[in-house]
Amino acid sequence: MSDTIQFEPKIIAYVCNWCTYLGADLAGTARLEYPPNVRIVKLPCTGRIDFNLIIKAFEVGADAIIVSGCHPGDCHYTSGNYHARRRWILFRELLNLLGFDLDRIHFAWISAAEGKKFQQVVTEVTEKTRKMGPYSELYAAGSAHLLPQPPHAPSPLETFSGESKLRSEARRLLIEGDVKAVIGYGERGPVIITHPEDAERLVWNNRCTANLAMYLKRKEVKALGKAAIVVKACDERALVVLEKESQLLRENLHVIGMACEGLESPKCVACTSRTPRFADQIIGEAADLIPSQESSPNKLDALMQLPRAQRMAYWVEEFSRCVKCYACRQVCPLCYCERCLVDKNRPITIDPAASTKGNFAWHITRALHLAGRCVGCGACAKACPVGIDLGLMNLQLAKAAKEHFGGYQAGVDLSAELLIGSFAKQDKEEFIK
Amino acid sequence: MANIYKPDLMEVISVRQQTSDVKSVAIRFLDPERARNFSFTVGQFGIFSVFGSGESTFNICSSSSWKDRIEFCFRKVGRVTDAMWQVEVGDVIGFRGPYGNGYPVDLWKGHDLVFLGGGIAMPPIRCAVWYALENRDQFGEITVVYGARTVADLVFVDELKEWSTRERVRVITCVDPGGETPDWKGEIGLVPSVFERANLSLHDPVALVIGPPIMIKNTLPILEKMGVVPGSVYTSLENRMKCGVGKCGRCNVGSHYVCKEGPVLTMDTLRGLPLDF
Amino acid sequence: MSETITETKLKHLAAEWIVAGTPVISPVAIKGRFLYMPLLSAEALAFSPETRPANSIKEFFFPKAETLYSYRVQGSSIELSEPSEFAGQQIILGARPCDAAALPILDHVFNWDSVDDFYNRRRTATTIVTIACTKSDDACFCTSVGLGPSATNGSDAMLLEISTGRYEVRCITEKGRQLFAGVTEPGTEPGHVTDAPPRKFDSEKVRAFAETHFEDTFWADHGRTCVGCGACAFTCPTCHCFDIVDAGPSAGSARVRTWDSCQSSQFTQHASGHNPRNSQPARQRQRVLHKFATYPEKFDAILCTGCGNCVRNCPVGLGVLSILTEI
Repeated sequence: MSDTIQFEPKIIAYVCNWCTYLGADLAGTARLEYPPNVRIVKLPCTGRIDFNLIIKAFEVGADAIIVSGCHPGDCHYTSGNYHARRRWILFRELLNLLGFDLDRIHFAWISAAEGKKFQQVVTEVTEKTRKMGPYSELYAAGSAHLLPQPPHAPSPLETFSGESKLRSEARRLLIEGDVKAVIGYGERGPVIITHPEDAERLVWNNRCTANLAMYLKRKEVKALGKAAIVVKACDERALVVLEKESQLLRENLHVIGMACEGLESPKCVACTSRTPRFADQIIGEAADLIPSQESSPNKLDALMQLPRAQRMAYWVEEFSRCVKCYACRQVCPLCYCERCLVDKNRPITIDPAASTKGNFAWHITRALHLAGRCVGCGACAKACPVGIDLGLMNLQLAKAAKEHFGGYQAGVDLSAELLIGSFAKQDKEEFIK
Repeated sequence: MANIYKPDLMEVISVRQQTSDVKSVAIRFLDPERARNFSFTVGQFGIFSVFGSGESTFNICSSSSWKDRIEFCFRKVGRVTDAMWQVEVGDVIGFRGPYGNGYPVDLWKGHDLVFLGGGIAMPPIRCAVWYALENRDQFGEITVVYGARTVADLVFVDELKEWSTRERVRVITCVDPGGETPDWKGEIGLVPSVFERANLSLHDPVALVIGPPIMIKNTLPILEKMGVVPGSVYTSLENRMKCGVGKCGRCNVGSHYVCKEGPVLTMDTLRGLPLDF
Repeated sequence: MSETITETKLKHLAAEWIVAGTPVISPVAIKGRFLYMPLLSAEALAFSPETRPANSIKEFFFPKAETLYSYRVQGSSIELSEPSEFAGQQIILGARPCDAAALPILDHVFNWDSVDDFYNRRRTATTIVTIACTKSDDACFCTSVGLGPSATNGSDAMLLEISTGRYEVRCITEKGRQLFAGVTEPGTEPGHVTDAPPRKFDSEKVRAFAETHFEDTFWADHGRTCVGCGACAFTCPTCHCFDIVDAGPSAGSARVRTWDSCQSSQFTQHASGHNPRNSQPARQRQRVLHKFATYPEKFDAILCTGCGNCVRNCPVGLGVLSILTEI
């Protein structure tokens, strides 16, 4: 007869140096007993806690995680915890979508004087986790529940009005010489033309789905000099975000706005505006918006209705196909870091191999680094060669941004503050102990 | 199943700090049979690794006649070399090799040898010098012209001194203008100009020139003026590597795989390659 | 006189193989495209002479992440352990000829001097059954690299569609004969194959150009719109460039071989900061050179089968083809 060894949960606590760590210290000196299951990792501030630290804790086998810092208003660095709180709100929404067990991630404000609270929180979390058992559901495969796929029949090529005007404008700009390159659409895909006679290569039709703003970050394009870019209203939002994030000087970019007649793309059913608002000129004639209808099943809702374990199984299946080609990153206008986190190796934060852990960490990172910034152009999902539902993650975070932060939408209002760069004293915190 | 990517386990037997960011390390095989059977040609390289950090490529800078150990020398610049910097005597690291083509020492027999190197390029020259000294009667005069940016950046300084005491060996050490210390007794100037100034008369020499591309570019015309044809001037290329065995498709310069057809090549060959390095 | 087989029979066989524990890899319909994946059940068998999967079969010989060995650190002593051997067999059913043709091409590099047994043991353990194409599209260019819609390079057996659900079976190798021994029916009608797509470029001309125009502005003019992802390289049947990563304890204390793309800006980045290929046009040039000049020079084989995956998967409509046709 074997003795059953009682499961002892492994808990990692990321705590700030100035409040919670001292609170833990106080619990110690006051001889307040708390379970030894928790390993404390000290950081200068909760604002420094990268969500990848939390994912890594799970990767190395933690059954639960506590994140704790100073109360709002008391941060040693004034606003670190306010920024952290805003990020945590979005982080939880994404983890929820991916099927992580949110009951295993605990947030708390514990001050240096609250030794008792530290004892309470750690004891509660340990007890709770002991009852829940080990986190064996993490990255567990299951019967993959395929989400309804909207039918997509390719439609014939339809040239929009404005194509010849676009060509003559591009020719004019290049002849005049102020603009050195025109970034536009060509027959097979995007083209970057530098000679006026190449203007004939530009097209404007229902296949012009790419978001050309992705080229503004490219070193080879910047080296050409002042550029003109062809944008649709949906792409323009990316330009707004880039300008707000100081990535482009508006006077160094000539924006050729195209009034759109509706592309061969599933995203057009959600279109709210067909005409760019901040362009230097508008070419073409906008067609009416498609009336809103419940024509295609809402994948996000369908996914959120599944039980958590099935959600995780769904994403385990999705990410199992990921080959880490980073097409999603390269086509995104807002993924402009000169050296992406996944390419850095001191330390290796995200396993670059196409393994389960590496793929989850990458996609979580990509989605969260775009939280409050993604403009929903859909380029990432379209670019994925293996058809991963990347857009769902971005959509979930856009929905969360709208719901929790006063209807916030990225790239719409040039005067609005950036979501992640700012915070509000009244950001919700009912999930924080 | 033969695992060509699996390293040999090596014990660190000595670590010497050469400069503020350069160390040289001596290692020996933990497996005595492997130690017995191992041999290499000077000029070949190995892929050395720290478990937990990764692999990195360095020239094997010890002479091929030293049977009890192999040595490598590295500068602390990145993830792996940072970890390698922490390694101490008694630690275990990994080694894969020997890879590459090595110096064609048979072709060098009977010639005067000229070694020209700058900075961290000394290690691949060092192994060749020791090899030549250990097979002294096979080679003619040995000349070493070695320079670094400052006095503190010179590596294997004690060995340079030792070589200059050997017969028919001339060692000229130099530092860049501004890099000298008040008590510096060596030359001041860049390696190509110091070499030119020395105005050596050499008989049908073979030259090994290793250093940054600009140094190689400036040294070649001087050698040519002395009558040394590009076919007798050798260099050792370096490139980012991963597998070391010609499979990962990364280190090639044009069609020349540095890990297989190199890293040693003549200037003749180098001139025929595209500027892909 | 030829051998024939029905789709029903193939499903039956596939079910037997799966039950026996032999993975059967076949095009599977998923997310609006086809991908080569191990079948979960024979019912999912969906290959056809018209379906071109978006990936290639190379991942079943050269996985996207393969553990080379793992290590255990105990104080200052290290213990290495090898991954368990690839056991058993695997069968690829319904691959395109352009996918199978990649394997004999890759055999060269994986056995150049040193022998890569990770690759070889899977090669030995796999039987490849191809299906000849009855349709080609704009992205196909197999005929430009010396292949065709019914080329048998790399195939152990080839199916040719006689009519819907009925195939002629041509056994090419002993492995193919063993697989289909006793399960085919004699027949008289031959299977059909689409007409070979017209050649889109001259590979000799491409090689000559690439070898002599290293510094040309051609590469910038045509490679500028490449965004530097790995979609082409990772879906290409012949691209084999890889990285060896040691991501430490949180990733399992192992050295893992992973796919890498020469289009990545980090591909040739030196720790010193120097990067020999510092611009996308330089990296595009490398791609063409490697495939059409360097590889043929070394191994007498073009590192391309003209499958068109690079064109179809390129997010900006490039792929190697658009550059090649401009030469």
